[in-house]
Amino acid sequence: MGALAEILFGGLFQGSLYAMMAVGLALVWTTIGVFNFSHGVFMMLGAYLAWQLVAFGLHPAIAFPLAILATAGVGWLLQATVVRPLIGRANLVLVVVITTLAAGSLIENGVLTIWGPRSKQLPPLLAGNTMIGSIGVSLHQIAIIVVTPLILWALWMFLTRTRIGLALRAVAQNEDASQLVGLNVTALYGLAFAIAAALACIAGIFMGGYRFMSPVMGADPLLKALIVVVFGGISSISGPIFAAYLIGFFEAACSYYFGLYWTPALLFAVLILTLMVRPEGIFTSRGRGLA
Amino acid sequence: MPILSVEGVTAGYGRVTVLNDVSLEAGRHGNVGFFGPNGHGKTTLLRVISGLLKPRSGRIFFDGEDITARSARAIVGTGLIHVPQGNRLFPDLTIADCMALGAYSARARPHEAENREKVIELFPKLAERWRQRVRTLSGGERQMVSIGTALMSHPRLLILDEPTLGLAPKIKDELCASVLDISKGGVPLIVVEQDIEFLLELSSQLYLINHGTVATEIKPGESIAHSEIMSMYFGH
Amino acid sequence: MTDMNKRVSGAPGRTSWQREAVGFVLGLAVLAMLPLVFTDSYSRHILIMAFIYAMVASNWDLSLGYGGVFNFGHLALFGIGVYAYALLTKLAGMDPWVALVASGVVATLAAVIVTIPILRLKGIYIILVTFGFAQLVMQIIISQSDITGGTQGIVRIPGLYIFDHNMVRDGKIGYFGIALTLLALSTIFLRVLVRSRIGASIVALRDNEEYAISRGVSLVRQRMITLAASAFFTGVAGAFYAAYQRNASIDVFGMSLATIVLSMVLLGGTGTIYGAVIASFVLTVFAEAMADFGAWRPMITAVLIILVMLVYPSGLVGMIQAAWGGLGGRLRRPT
Repeated sequence: MGALAEILFGGLFQGSLYAMMAVGLALVWTTIGVFNFSHGVFMMLGAYLAWQLVAFGLHPAIAFPLAILATAGVGWLLQATVVRPLIGRANLVLVVVITTLAAGSLIENGVLTIWGPRSKQLPPLLAGNTMIGSIGVSLHQIAIIVVTPLILWALWMFLTRTRIGLALRAVAQNEDASQLVGLNVTALYGLAFAIAAALACIAGIFMGGYRFMSPVMGADPLLKALIVVVFGGISSISGPIFAAYLIGFFEAACSYYFGLYWTPALLFAVLILTLMVRPEGIFTSRGRGLA
Repeated sequence: MPILSVEGVTAGYGRVTVLNDVSLEAGRHGNVGFFGPNGHGKTTLLRVISGLLKPRSGRIFFDGEDITARSARAIVGTGLIHVPQGNRLFPDLTIADCMALGAYSARARPHEAENREKVIELFPKLAERWRQRVRTLSGGERQMVSIGTALMSHPRLLILDEPTLGLAPKIKDELCASVLDISKGGVPLIVVEQDIEFLLELSSQLYLINHGTVATEIKPGESIAHSEIMSMYFGH
Repeated sequence: MTDMNKRVSGAPGRTSWQREAVGFVLGLAVLAMLPLVFTDSYSRHILIMAFIYAMVASNWDLSLGYGGVFNFGHLALFGIGVYAYALLTKLAGMDPWVALVASGVVATLAAVIVTIPILRLKGIYIILVTFGFAQLVMQIIISQSDITGGTQGIVRIPGLYIFDHNMVRDGKIGYFGIALTLLALSTIFLRVLVRSRIGASIVALRDNEEYAISRGVSLVRQRMITLAASAFFTGVAGAFYAAYQRNASIDVFGMSLATIVLSMVLLGGTGTIYGAVIASFVLTVFAEAMADFGAWRPMITAVLIILVMLVYPSGLVGMIQAAWGGLGGRLRRPT
């Protein structure tokens, strides 16, 4: 019983973080058709901005939303400077990999210069610990497990039930036709990046609340998000969400039975095998499209 | 004053020039047809008119206003609506989504309910499949969605790029009848078609676009025989 | 696959053999003269590093630029070379020179293995799987810390030798010579390959997959040849790097190194081989020239990479061609 509870809890917790990151990555891919390799840096930057606002004396309830907005703004800016001008290039995917990597390196080193290499920590969403059965968990982790599905649900509702969400889904499918119904494609691209950055910031706030922050804290989550989207298929939002939790459970089970060291190797092996059988991910249909 | 006038437009992609000094006009009443061989600039001309492609030189006026430099989105805002070729505009949206999208511009939004009624009246088949994704529809139905989406944009001038392309004869006839209905409803049309019979029935003015330029213009009132058009195609 | 860079320079046989050979020998001669100007071992160290980067980047250009295969595991092949050399010399006690070649073979085999899962994949999925492959290799090395030293790495790896010459003496002239020789061999190999019939079919496959296949080009065989060919000298470069630095660390699998080398490939302009070599020199020397900027250095580099990518889609080669066209008045068509 203890094993099951531990795997279940660990899976839900990791899955939440992965889902938060992967959804942003998938959102940008589906709407613009590029991979944003600075997505992990958004997460890190968001956490540092939140930390700075808290350090200024703001209550986390104010500081966190402000940090999320600010990170969204950076996402918008990044899109406008290193992605948008390249749209239409023959080797767009590749060039954007480089420009977003470079922009990420710029931000990462900027953060290092401003805040220094010393580790920092954010206040948890909820302070304190509790027991679930025989395992001790922090309330912060429980908060993450509860809050994440709510945020993802809100995103889902936004994409499927609002006019702007509809416009985002439309741009994801056909840019020319979107212009011909009067959509502001440039603004929607910016919006996709801004939402993705905001989600990454939330993930950063989650992570900064239970682990020490560093300028490179986003590298591993970016990697995991990439795996999640490959696994779940990059042509939708729901695929990566399922895949995120699936991988969370897989990792939790692996590290319980085989130990932490072997987990990443097993994960990659399973990933590569999956792609050999289903090159477009497990939860996917053909083509690009949100929701 | 014509509703649309194109003055000396030259345009192309990269180093390739597709349109060379094209000038034409569309009147307020009656429809205009474009015809001519494939790959000679008809679609490019429509893309320039609707703002998807900026011309290298020349100007475009819609209802007296210079729209040459405006974005595609701003042009939609003036009521000049372009239905592009091909009928897979938004394959993973439902018909309902597409109709909502058509009414996205500020100009069309107040008329959303009224236009939806019109679209359903014109294409009752769409109402039956209202919540279905476009990719699950037949070719004719998808074309109805494309035209319906454009009607939702509350057009003052509607541009159709080969609406009957690839449709079975029976479905094609139905769609042609619907296009005539739209025209009778008071919306002037610019239609690109390969089916000359249909164009002759629909339009009062025809332009033959050949080698990226207007080769021949057939003005309102001039009658023209099918055989003459055929010789224009092949005679040069 | 997207049609990356359909430039004429991607097609073999634009410049005649003779002209290219003359240019190559001249360039090589200039590089060989450099130790006469740069006599201190620090400057030569920079040059040796530039040679290593140039090998890795130009071989990456073969798979990325010519093949259009978005292999993001290229640096893992380099890393495999590093660790293969370290383990073969240190644990198996193999002769360093034999190990140098063997490391190239190991990297080639690894490339063949990574080709299998990507055979059916396209574009972005190739990026993700090869990226995953690189991470898998790194994780295996970390988890097998008994042999590989895990995150600590391996130190005191045997270096190369030339009779009983002391390799670090005389301003590292020995290593300089070896590095330049390896770069020359690698470049000749790549250029001969891309100008051959095999090179032509690789480009054909990139530009029009369906057509190439219909004309009898085998996607499977060609992809495997492309990746395997790009792996050998990359593995050798890794082995040389290990021998030169005399230690191995998992940093070679990190994103920062991959970013730098990838920018060399893209800055140089894909599908030229020489572009990647030139960009490697420019970036390495540039990074050194900015050593005084300290923490600002990576930021300035990042901004410059972005600017070049925004302004010159075809990289430094495009920039040079544009300047050449402007100077000579001879119209070279922009891409």
